[in-house]
Amino acid sequence: MKRILAVLLTLALILPLVPMALADETLEPITLTVFRGDPGDQPAEDNKIYKLIEEKFGVKFEFEFLAGNLDETLGLKIFGQDYPDLFDGGNSADLIIDGGALINLLDYISPEKTPRLWAHIEPQKARLIEKDEEGNDVLYIIPNYGLVEGEQIALTVGGPAFFIQKQVLAWAGYPKIKTLNQYFDVLEAFLKENPTDANGNPYIGFDILCEDWRHFCLINPVQHLMGRPNDGEVLIDVSTPDYHTETFIDKPYAKPYYKKLNEEFHKGLISRDTFTMNYDQYIAQLSSGTVLGMFDQAWDFGTATAALNDAKMFENTYVALGLVYDPEYVDGKEIEEHYLNGSLPNVRRGFGISVNCQCPERIIAMWEEMLSEEWQLIFNWGIEGEDYYVENGRLLMTQEQYNNTNDNTWKLKNKADAFFQSSPKRQGWILEGEYAGNCWEPANQDEIVFGMMNDYDKDFLSHYGFSKWADFVNPPIELAPYGEAWQINYNPVEVEHTDFLNIQDQRLPELIMCDPAEFDAKWDAFVEEITPSATAFGNYMQQAVLEEVAKVLGD
Amino acid sequence: MAVNTPPAETAAVSRKLRPGKTGFFRTLGRQWQMLLMSVPMLLYVLLFNYAPMWGWINAFRDYTNKKNVARGITPFNGMANFEWLFSRPDFFQSIRNTLAMSLINLVFGTVSAILLAVLLNEVRNRGFKRTVQTVTYLPHFLSMVIVVSMAQNIFASSGPVNQLLLSLGIIRDPVFWLGEGKYFWWLVGVINVWKEVGWSTIIYISAMTAIDPCLYEAASIDGAGRFNRILHVTLPGIRSTFVILLIMNIGHLLEAGFEIQYLLGGGLVRDYSTTIDIFVLEYGTEKLNIGVATAAGMFKSIVAIILLAGANFISRRLGEETLI
Repeated sequence: MKRILAVLLTLALILPLVPMALADETLEPITLTVFRGDPGDQPAEDNKIYKLIEEKFGVKFEFEFLAGNLDETLGLKIFGQDYPDLFDGGNSADLIIDGGALINLLDYISPEKTPRLWAHIEPQKARLIEKDEEGNDVLYIIPNYGLVEGEQIALTVGGPAFFIQKQVLAWAGYPKIKTLNQYFDVLEAFLKENPTDANGNPYIGFDILCEDWRHFCLINPVQHLMGRPNDGEVLIDVSTPDYHTETFIDKPYAKPYYKKLNEEFHKGLISRDTFTMNYDQYIAQLSSGTVLGMFDQAWDFGTATAALNDAKMFENTYVALGLVYDPEYVDGKEIEEHYLNGSLPNVRRGFGISVNCQCPERIIAMWEEMLSEEWQLIFNWGIEGEDYYVENGRLLMTQEQYNNTNDNTWKLKNKADAFFQSSPKRQGWILEGEYAGNCWEPANQDEIVFGMMNDYDKDFLSHYGFSKWADFVNPPIELAPYGEAWQINYNPVEVEHTDFLNIQDQRLPELIMCDPAEFDAKWDAFVEEITPSATAFGNYMQQAVLEEVAKVLGD
Repeated sequence: MAVNTPPAETAAVSRKLRPGKTGFFRTLGRQWQMLLMSVPMLLYVLLFNYAPMWGWINAFRDYTNKKNVARGITPFNGMANFEWLFSRPDFFQSIRNTLAMSLINLVFGTVSAILLAVLLNEVRNRGFKRTVQTVTYLPHFLSMVIVVSMAQNIFASSGPVNQLLLSLGIIRDPVFWLGEGKYFWWLVGVINVWKEVGWSTIIYISAMTAIDPCLYEAASIDGAGRFNRILHVTLPGIRSTFVILLIMNIGHLLEAGFEIQYLLGGGLVRDYSTTIDIFVLEYGTEKLNIGVATAAGMFKSIVAIILLAGANFISRRLGEETLI
C-alpha cells in the first residue's frame, strides 16, 4: 500500500511537469503593455492579425492610447517611472528619451544577431544613431516611417499644403493655382456665386485650426509660401554655407500672409469661430463638406477625407496645392515651390523599448522576424485569399477588399494598425523575391491607386492631364543634410519656445480679426513682443541645425 | 441668577485652584478611548498631508537640465525657481485670473445654491421637489469635457445664445463669447453654476431640515408671511453652515479649477484664462521642471493658509462660527 501511495505521489509530482517539458518548444506567453502617443481605438478582441502574432510569438498586447495632452501624459509617466514595455512618445519622444525611459537598442541590434533590422537601419544610420553624453553610439527608436526601399514613390501630398475642394477648381474651369492671390481669388469667386451648398448650409471659405499642437495650421504657412519645406518654426537658407536659420514669423516677409488673411476675414471668407473651435469640431466641419479651403497637413484631416469618400461626396474632398507668395509680396522675386521632400526617416518617432521591459530580446527578435516579407505582407496587405490575391506575380485587391481597407470597423478586426503603425516597417518597393516590383504598401500599388479611383477623381485628373495628385506640386526635392528642422530637439530653449508659441497663438488670430486700419500698428507691436523669445529660439536652432549637418556629413 | 453660580464657572475656578500638569493628564485619562480612536486619522493626516511636504525641498533644486535629472542629479539652486516665477509677468496674471474666477465662482455658486435651496424648501409637493433636485444635480456627474463641448456649441457665434439674444433684439451682431477675454471669467462662472448648483444645494437643504418647525409656526402666529419666514427663520438657520462653507472655500480660493480653463481657454483669451495651475502645467510639469512646479505649489499653499487664517480671524471677530 505504501509503495502504491509512493508511486502515485511521484506521478502526481511529475505529471504537471510533462506539459511544461513539451511546451518548451514554444515561447512562454507574455503580455506587453503598449503606449501610443496619439489617440486611437482599441482593436477588436477577435482581431485576426493579433491572433496570428499570439500564435507565432506568444505575445499579446495591452494598448493604451493618448487621451488628453501628450506632454502632460508623458510627464506623469516619467515622474512615476510608470513605463509601458513598448513606448511611443508621439511627437514628444524627446521627453521620454531625456527622461531616461528608453533602452539603447544598439545593445541588441547588430549585423550578426539581427541582420534584417540592421539592413533596415543601415542606409540611414548617420541620421539615426546618436551620441549620448559619454559619446557612446545610441539608438532609442527605430523610425516608424521613412526608411524607404528603392526609388521614392510620391503619389499624393501627405504633408503640409494649401488645400482646396475639388468642386471649386471644377467650377472655375480647372485652373492651375500657384500663388496665394490666385488661391484666394478663386475661393472668393466661388463663394460669391455659391454662398451655400445644395442643402442650404453656408460655405466657409477658409478654415484655420488653432487648437493646441495643431496650431501649425496657423503658424507654419509662411515658410512654404517662401518656397521652403516643413522646417517647423524656422526658415533655413540652404544656399548659404552656414545654413542661415531664423524664425520667420517675426520677419517682414511674414506680414503679407496675415495681412491677406485679415482682408479675407473682412470679406467674410474666414469665420471667427475658427479660432475657438477644437479639433473634433474642425473635423466635423470638414466632413460636412462646407469648408472650401484650409492650410493643413493631409494626415491631419484623414478622417474627414475618409468620411467624405464614404458619403460619396467626392467633389467635396481636397486637392493639395503648393502655393507661394506672389512676386508683389517679395520684392518681385519669383519663388519656386518646395512642398514635397525626398524621403527621410521619421527620426525619434515610433516605438522604443522602455527600461521597465522585462524581455527586450523577445521584442527585438519579434521585430526581426516581422521584417520578413511574409510578415510585412501580413501587416500591409493582410491574409492572402482573404484580403488580397496574387495574379501573375502582382499583389491585387478586389473592389470589396479595397473598400474594407477604408472601413475603420473592419480594420479594428482585421488589421494590426495600433501595433504596426509605430513599429519598424519596410516601405517603398519590394526589391527581391517573387513579389519584386510590387509595393510594400497597397496605397502605393499602381493597380490599386488607379484601378480603385472613383470616376469623379479620374475625370477630375484628366481635365488637368495629370495621372496622380502629386502632379499638382513639384516632384520631391532632395533634402538638405539636416533633414527637416521640425524634428530637431529644442529642449534647452523650451521655455522660450513655449513663450514664442503662446504669443503667436494669441496675437495671430487677433491680427487676422483686427480693424484693417490698425493692422500695421498691431503687427509692429506683435513683432516687438515676440522678438526676445524668437531670437533665443532662432539662435539655438541655428546651432542645432549646424550640429545636425556636421553629424550627418561627418560619416 | 446671580445667586446660583453656573456649573461652568465652578469648574473654571477649581481648575485655577489646581494648576499644573495634573489637569492635562486627568483629561487624558478620562478621554483615552477617544484619543485612541483618533489615532488612525492622525496617522492619515501625517502620512498623506504632512509627510509629502518633504517634497517642498524640490522647490530649491535645479531641474532644468533634463539629462542630469534623468541621472538623478538635481543640485540645490537657492531661490532661483522663485526668482524665475516672480520675474514672469504672466505668473502674476495667472494669480489675478485664478483669484477673479474663484471669487466669481464663490459668489455665483453660493448665492445660486442658497437661492435654489430656499426655493426648494418652500415647495410642499414632494414629487416636484425631488424631480427638481435630481435634475439640477445631474450635471455634477457629467465630465467637464462634455460640459465644455456643449458650452462651445451653445456660445458659438451662430449658437443658441446668440440667436436668442438676436431674436429678442438685445444685440445687433452676434457676440464672440468664446474669443473675447472680457467674457471668459463670467462664462466660467455660468458654466460652473449650471454644473454644480444642484450638488451644492444638498448641504443647505439638509441644514434647513434641521430647523425646528416650531420656529416657523411661532413666526406664522406672530404674523410673518412667507417672505418674512424665509428672512427671519430659514436664512438665520443656515447661517452657521454658510459661514463654515465660506471659510473652507476661501482656503480653496487659489484653486479656481483647472479643467474648464484648460479646455475652453488658451489662444485668444489666454490673458484671462491662464490660471496658476495651467501656468505650472505649461512651464513646470510639461517641461518636467519639478522645481518650478513645486515652487508655485508652495507659494499657493502659503497664500491659501494666509487667506484661510484671515477669514477665520475675521469670522471670530464678528462673533460667527470658526473653523479653528
